[in-house]
Amino acid sequence: MKLLIIIPAYNEGASIVATVENLKAVCPGYDFIIVNDGSSDDTSALCSAQGYPTLELPINIGLAGAFQTGMRYAFQKGYDYALQFDADGQHLPQYIEPMFEKAQEGANIVIGSRFIKVKKPKNLRIIGSYLISWTIKLTTGAAICDPTSGMRLYDREMIAEFASNINYGPEPDTISYLIKNGTCVSEVQVEMGERKAGKSYFDLGGSMWYMVKMLLSILIIQFFRLRVKSGEGRK
Amino acid sequence: MTLVLRLLLIAGSLFTLVFVIRRIRAAKLQIEDSIFWLAFSVVLLIISVFPRLVYWGASLLGIQSPTNMVFLIVIFILTVRVFSLTMRVSVLDEKLKRLAQSEALDGHKKQERGK
Repeated sequence: MKLLIIIPAYNEGASIVATVENLKAVCPGYDFIIVNDGSSDDTSALCSAQGYPTLELPINIGLAGAFQTGMRYAFQKGYDYALQFDADGQHLPQYIEPMFEKAQEGANIVIGSRFIKVKKPKNLRIIGSYLISWTIKLTTGAAICDPTSGMRLYDREMIAEFASNINYGPEPDTISYLIKNGTCVSEVQVEMGERKAGKSYFDLGGSMWYMVKMLLSILIIQFFRLRVKSGEGRK
Repeated sequence: MTLVLRLLLIAGSLFTLVFVIRRIRAAKLQIEDSIFWLAFSVVLLIISVFPRLVYWGASLLGIQSPTNMVFLIVIFILTVRVFSLTMRVSVLDEKLKRLAQSEALDGHKKQERGK
């Protein structure tokens, strides 16, 4: 069973080397690939200087597109599992192993969740997470404690689907759509670090738009989607 | 606002809804892009179901015929949309250029390596 760790990176020059070195030290057995999403800083130079395996996107295509690039690579190379791992140091490599084990017990998607054993804090930053959890519960009946966690592990079937289809961003609405279509999603308790450097994809306006998009998508749009089975979509 | 106009607006908004949903089903439309059209058709529905809103807006702005208020709203929304699309096309244009250039540069690099 081969696992590929996909690390999308957009202007992560300040943290990418530390993140990857930590990953290599804790998980020496797993393959990884960096997807450089057209960074304008020294991310690309640092990766090639360190000799990291990197997919260089010549332009910035956004997180969903960058992640899909990694999934296409995983699909072509015949990996059984793929894990999304942040370049900014938020995701801790010691939790990859337990997630991998959980997936092999039989789950299509394993989410590295902050809030299974730990109670969700009640603050402004986490309101979005509550709302999304609640809408997923409402529309699918499934309880997902940490839907916005970016640390997710996908099996071969999911890799094929994510690699070839439109509207498969690595986001909660895709998760809810997949649950509704009979995909098995489990969660494993993880801790997350503070981001070491760099800026989040989100500012206030961006967060609001993200929430509107996610809630409308989960509540309304996902009802009407048809499942395109793996390999049948466009390549 | 005549009844005919209201019915027309309702039909238009329902048509938009159905069309957008069918595009999503056919996997030909990104979810981000569908949200504007869903919201737009909801606005049309609200206008046709609650014409009082339009009467109120028209008297506020000094527009004599409420129907013109409907046109104003629609033109305004669509103008904003066209502007945002123009910005997006502009960015896409630039990205496409860079992509084609990278392709050419890479091809040349390979050629030199092959020599």
